[in-house]
Amino acid sequence: MKFVLRMAVRETRSSWRRLLFFFVCIAVGVAAIVALRSVIQNVRGVFGREARSLIAADVLISTNREWTDAARATIDRRLVEAGADAHTDTVETPTMVRPADSSKPTARMVELRAVGSEFPLYGTVGLQSGELYSYGMLQNRGVLVRAELLTALSVKVGDELTIGQSSFTIKGVITNEPGRRVGDFSLGPGILIALEDLPATGLLQFGSRVRRVLQVRVPEEPRIRPLVETLRDDFKDQFVNARSFRGTDDEIGRDFDRAENYLSLVGLVIVILGGIAVSSVTRVFVLQKMRSIAVLKCVGARSGQIIGVYLLQVLTLGFAGSLLGVVLARLAILGIPLALGNAASMLADVQYGITWSAAIQGIGVGVLVSLLFSVVPLLQIRMVKPSLLFRDEPLRGGRDWTRIIATVLVSAALVALTAWQAASLRVGLSVCAGFCGLALALHVTGRLLVRTMAPLANSKSFPLRHAVLHLSRPGNQTRVILLAVGLGAFFIVGVRSLQASLLEEFAVQSGEGSPDMFLMDIQRDQADGIRAFLTDPSHGAGPFRFIPVLRARVVGVDGRSVQLESFEDVRARGGLGREYTITYRDHLEANEKIASGAFWRGPSSVAEVSIEQGMAERNQLGVGDTIRFDVLGRVIPARVTSVRAVDWRDSRSGGFIFVFRPGVLENAPQMIISPLRGPEGPEARARFQHDLVEAFPNVSVIDFHEILVTVRDVMSKVTLAVSVVGGLVLLSGALILIGAVAMTKFQRVYEAAVFKTLGANTRTIARMLLLEYGVLGLLAGTVGSLGAIALTWGVSRWALDIPWRISVGEHVGGVIATTALVAAIGVLSSLDVLRHKPLATLRAE
Amino acid sequence: MIALRDVSKTVTSGTEPLTILHPLTTEIPRGQFVAVVGPSGSGKSTLLGLIAGLDAPTSGSVVIDGVDITKLDEDALAKLRGEKIGFVFQFFHLIPSLTAYENVAVPMEIAGAADAADRARRLLEEVGLTGRAHHYPSQLSGGEQQRVALARALANNLPIVLADEPTGNLDSTNGRHIMQLLKDIHQTRGTTLVLVTHDAEVAAQADTRLVMRDGRVVEGLSR
Repeated sequence: MKFVLRMAVRETRSSWRRLLFFFVCIAVGVAAIVALRSVIQNVRGVFGREARSLIAADVLISTNREWTDAARATIDRRLVEAGADAHTDTVETPTMVRPADSSKPTARMVELRAVGSEFPLYGTVGLQSGELYSYGMLQNRGVLVRAELLTALSVKVGDELTIGQSSFTIKGVITNEPGRRVGDFSLGPGILIALEDLPATGLLQFGSRVRRVLQVRVPEEPRIRPLVETLRDDFKDQFVNARSFRGTDDEIGRDFDRAENYLSLVGLVIVILGGIAVSSVTRVFVLQKMRSIAVLKCVGARSGQIIGVYLLQVLTLGFAGSLLGVVLARLAILGIPLALGNAASMLADVQYGITWSAAIQGIGVGVLVSLLFSVVPLLQIRMVKPSLLFRDEPLRGGRDWTRIIATVLVSAALVALTAWQAASLRVGLSVCAGFCGLALALHVTGRLLVRTMAPLANSKSFPLRHAVLHLSRPGNQTRVILLAVGLGAFFIVGVRSLQASLLEEFAVQSGEGSPDMFLMDIQRDQADGIRAFLTDPSHGAGPFRFIPVLRARVVGVDGRSVQLESFEDVRARGGLGREYTITYRDHLEANEKIASGAFWRGPSSVAEVSIEQGMAERNQLGVGDTIRFDVLGRVIPARVTSVRAVDWRDSRSGGFIFVFRPGVLENAPQMIISPLRGPEGPEARARFQHDLVEAFPNVSVIDFHEILVTVRDVMSKVTLAVSVVGGLVLLSGALILIGAVAMTKFQRVYEAAVFKTLGANTRTIARMLLLEYGVLGLLAGTVGSLGAIALTWGVSRWALDIPWRISVGEHVGGVIATTALVAAIGVLSSLDVLRHKPLATLRAE
Repeated sequence: MIALRDVSKTVTSGTEPLTILHPLTTEIPRGQFVAVVGPSGSGKSTLLGLIAGLDAPTSGSVVIDGVDITKLDEDALAKLRGEKIGFVFQFFHLIPSLTAYENVAVPMEIAGAADAADRARRLLEEVGLTGRAHHYPSQLSGGEQQRVALARALANNLPIVLADEPTGNLDSTNGRHIMQLLKDIHQTRGTTLVLVTHDAEVAAQADTRLVMRDGRVVEGLSR
């Protein structure tokens, strides 16, 4: 053992420089794992502590209908039974607000929340001014707003805002609002008003998208769960929902677990890439060390001892690389508060640092991957015979069962490692399979490309001929470089092209003449007024249409393939159970085609419905089935008479899953929505919204231009995040490349010396190197780009359902950048090959 | 004692089998100095490799101190070499990543000797390299490298030293120096010395001379 230890120290001393880059790859991956896990655990800690204040109550009971007396009676009874000691009502609705000052012609959609005096039951409303929140601030038409609304409307604390038909005074700026979750989807910034001021706004009209929530405090925790279950049972067929803070906590916990495990897989992929590099370099290393190994065997060392020496060396370097990874993660995390600035959100309250569990996991993964990937190549040591000291002989070939068994065990261990990191065997298996598939595809493509280049080995140009020959020299690192650099290029080019493709798609949709604004919540009796407003040329609106909409829920299906008796059965089928916006009309829209059945002509008093093809296929519904709808409490059975294929990309006409035949729903309470072409220019659009809302305070306006800006913003953040990941992979690729050059440098120095002796000058050799790495970069870029084309095709077709576009610029740019990068790194790290004097080199050999 | 019984070696050259050592039977008594001479390709190094267990014979057996080494596996052979046989190569074959001192200490460390460090230093002193102990092979001259190799072969005080043209790659002064060291070891320690050489003058100093040609011993065979 002493011998193994001593030799490992000596070997590490002499070869750490050559192996360094490979273990820096491990460090990069470990850093990604440790940083991601730590940050998510940090944030989770805060969220976990704040779970109660996140939903601001122990139990939330909500509905998007009006409370009925019967429902409130039941709830009151259950609350008494559960020992609830406090409850408070809140009402939430999206609406438009505008400055009362008519010199500021602008309006903005917000998420309004009207609260009672007991709000919040848990947590506190944080205010920017540092004042303590009290209900008194809201009373008498006070409003608390988010900072972004002040900016959007150019108003300040103390100014008046018009909400619906009332004016409110801005009393302060909210920094933290219990019950509103960070990252929740919202149509606009949140505002708080007093519940008692809500009726005067006139927003609680029929059909408004209002959510009424009863927040409840239950002092005895064990009674919370039974209360929620009892309420769910009481209201199982009604539009009432109950959940507990514990449910939210579990949900948040699951979200965090999932985020932590999935994100850290990114780090794992980088570590595995490092592992592949370690495997490849270990193979070359053993080949280079064959004589030393033979000498050791000659002086009495057993194979096991020698394998032990190199295994210990790999473990030491893997451990050192992993520690470096932890240091890198620490540095990256130090940067987070700087990146967040003084943003007043919960994220800024988190204490960021490395957690022990993340560090230990990272180091564990780094060391394990180093070990697993080096075991199989190190087993070659057994094949080295001391007789090679007499005559050069290759390693013994043939089937080596020990290595085959070791390979199987190592693969199983890698799957286990991935499953451990993903906390799921299924995900572990799929990631491993996916990675193997991708690696195999890149590898095969790489080989094909190398083969395609082969004729260049007969080129007249001496440097080009040798550059191509070098790609397939013994002990070359072509495959691993192609894999690592190709994978990096694949990530970056793929994601950038997808982004370009998506943005182009959005641009097409909001193109010339098509609607770019939506008016919602138009009451029937407002239709004429709105029509007059829109046709008034001074408002600058373009073409518009009115579409009647109702809200409905599927409560049963009587079909050939599917029988769903109750709403419970429907809900069990997931998506089908949600509330749908439905319409009725006697024609197909331009983006619709009949896939089966026949579309009606004219009205009928018998309910008929046409369903969207995707929905029909997902739920095995078809023509002839009867679907029971609950439309505002009235159950309407409707026969499916046609299935429509809807082109969702062309949503100018709006997209509806369920379209009814006219004749049944006309008299039911309903609303109107209106897609229209808004005025040109931001100022005209702001004024249009302001004037419209002034005339019709309950009507909401959704401006596609604003959404497009948000979409662009979100997408560029996602693209940045994925590009960072791609960048890390590319960085690993670059490190592997530098390492591969360092590893085979002695061979190059010798070859360069021979070439120089034979008359080649430094320029020829430099050109040879440049071409060799240029060709390698070109191949890697092409492999990545081909991969990206496949990725964008798959994602466009299967996931996003948008037409597939090749963004030629991204691909050409990607290939050129990869070629330049690889050529530059390759030549720069080989510079001393050019400087060596041939005689000294040949003598040393 | 080293005993060879019908030992032969055939290798495949291209697709054709090529016998590089024809069946050979001979014995080398303990403490003898045997010189093996012959032209290049006559099978001298092969013979030495077979005795050291560095290579396996195609047929026959090699017995060292009563143990048939052809029946041993790789690890047992390594152990046997560590205990009984020191080897000196024409091309030195030092481990480039280790210093002179470490190259000498390695066989003793493998054998688990407690005083490996002291003995390695003494051996380097014996071959006149005290001042070069911490130099790497690439920093040593050919003669110095061969002296390190010699010190390494003597490391475990082994009863047998096999030397494959130890002076073949050295100038005459260094060559003479190495030969003197080998003879001293043979005489003072009673080491069995089997030496492959082209040099007739060196061969003349041996107790026995085996002359080889085309894979056969043509002169000096003891039966």
